[in-house]
Amino acid sequence: MVILGAGVAGHTAALHAKRMLGKGNEIIVISPNSKYNWIPSNIWVGVGKMSAEQVTFPLAPVYKKQGITFHQALAQEIHPEGDSTTSSGYVQVTYTDPARNGEVSKIEYDFLVNATGPKLNFAATPGLGPDGHTVSVCTFGHAMEAAKSLAEAIAVMKTGKRQSIAVGVGHGTCTCEGAAFEYAFNVEHEVRAAGVRDFADITYITNEYELGDFGVGGLVFSQQGFQTSSKMWTESLFRERGISAILGAHVEKVEPNAVHYELVDGTKDILKFDFAMLLPPFRGVDLKAFDKAGNDISDQIFAASGFMKVDADYSGKPYEEWLASDWPKTYRNPLYPNIFAVGIAFAPPHQISKPRKSPNGTLIAPSPPRTGMPSGIMGKAAILSIRELIKSGSGAAVASASMSDMGAACVASAGSGLKRGSAASMTMYPVVPDFVKYPNTGRSVEETFGEIGLAGHWIKLLLHYMFIYKAKGRFGWFLIPE
Amino acid sequence: MTMENPGEAIARAPLPTEKTLKQRKNVFIQLTRFAAINIKMIRMIRKGHHPMEKTEN
Repeated sequence: MVILGAGVAGHTAALHAKRMLGKGNEIIVISPNSKYNWIPSNIWVGVGKMSAEQVTFPLAPVYKKQGITFHQALAQEIHPEGDSTTSSGYVQVTYTDPARNGEVSKIEYDFLVNATGPKLNFAATPGLGPDGHTVSVCTFGHAMEAAKSLAEAIAVMKTGKRQSIAVGVGHGTCTCEGAAFEYAFNVEHEVRAAGVRDFADITYITNEYELGDFGVGGLVFSQQGFQTSSKMWTESLFRERGISAILGAHVEKVEPNAVHYELVDGTKDILKFDFAMLLPPFRGVDLKAFDKAGNDISDQIFAASGFMKVDADYSGKPYEEWLASDWPKTYRNPLYPNIFAVGIAFAPPHQISKPRKSPNGTLIAPSPPRTGMPSGIMGKAAILSIRELIKSGSGAAVASASMSDMGAACVASAGSGLKRGSAASMTMYPVVPDFVKYPNTGRSVEETFGEIGLAGHWIKLLLHYMFIYKAKGRFGWFLIPE
Repeated sequence: MTMENPGEAIARAPLPTEKTLKQRKNVFIQLTRFAAINIKMIRMIRKGHHPMEKTEN
């Protein structure tokens, strides 16, 4: 069995695969990276509160201990039917392992789990990203650069000079608004802690139509006997911390110290900045697929976004007709059911937030978040399905893990320190609203909640240590839920 | 398409009272909230974890 990727979905799948299928089955992980990165904590690396070593660890020793075969390599081609020399499906890889750098190899599989995560598509917005004029926190390397740039901006503020700080997303179709939100509040906390808050103008620029949307259409939860919205709750936090916002924005391009953006109403403007952290849009990784004769079948296996098609409804219905049941349950590719795509690698059937177009025709539509907890659950579900398929053959019943039937927790830290930290803790159930099951808000009001306080910061710290413990495959790791 | 001015919306948003701000940082209150949030999260996680529920292939 081959797993592509060693992020939350792929690594979780690999550990469970070894535990459930290890006897008599070889588990192979292919990842171009040598290290595991607990990405949610990159936010803290990005403000200099954690080191790269605290959010990463080498994968090879963990896989060696678990008895999992690890190839540090980049998967470039999938051949689900094999080729003229073999009838087995295989993946063609190019090694990034320094010992075999550049070597091309074929790795055969009976079952393939595609958990490659996204390609960070900085190229979609000219001038965006570490090779352009902004920083990012998507990888620990990016986050370290962000921390350095932020420290430089704070040093300038300490000389009495004002600095404009822009934090948000760098394209109209970005996802992970929650991470951008979290970084904005961490930056605010850092400049306050440095004693230079009065010299920082912080602006949150986002493709969300309203604050508190988070790419999931916002949340409604009960608080002290009333139903309240994440919009009001988030706006309150922005007011309290003195952060301004630009909403419904598509970043067109970034020039040195200037973000050019278009709003949903079609107007265009420029946001000047001295320090900017803007997340990139995602697309599928550069992976091609070929049939037995060598014909390119990528467009049959992958959606236009580059993410892999699974058992979802991709008919492209209007927003008003979208249903929770459009979302995939098994994550199997319809053409090759021995291929699964989990985590960010699967193609979502549609956005969760209402997509909008400006009068100029620019799409401004937050993409659905599918990181963290849902990714881990999908990875585990794929392995449960494979176990059943191995045991009972191709007609076996398989596991279900629809995002319209699972919840997610988001803890956005807004400061650090065991006594002085703070965080916004949110849960939602389900991630994809189900207006048939929950007619009023699309979600369970009992299981959807939000709260701000020091306790959330402790939870974020607890999750950091707990999930790194789990990812290292230490004693009892499987008892920790995804 | 007319958008709400985010600056006006933020300016209209309710501010937490001094009491609320203190409660958010009070270690004893937050210890109880820590337990309560964890229980809520575990309940939500359990509800979403039903991997043995199967769908026909």
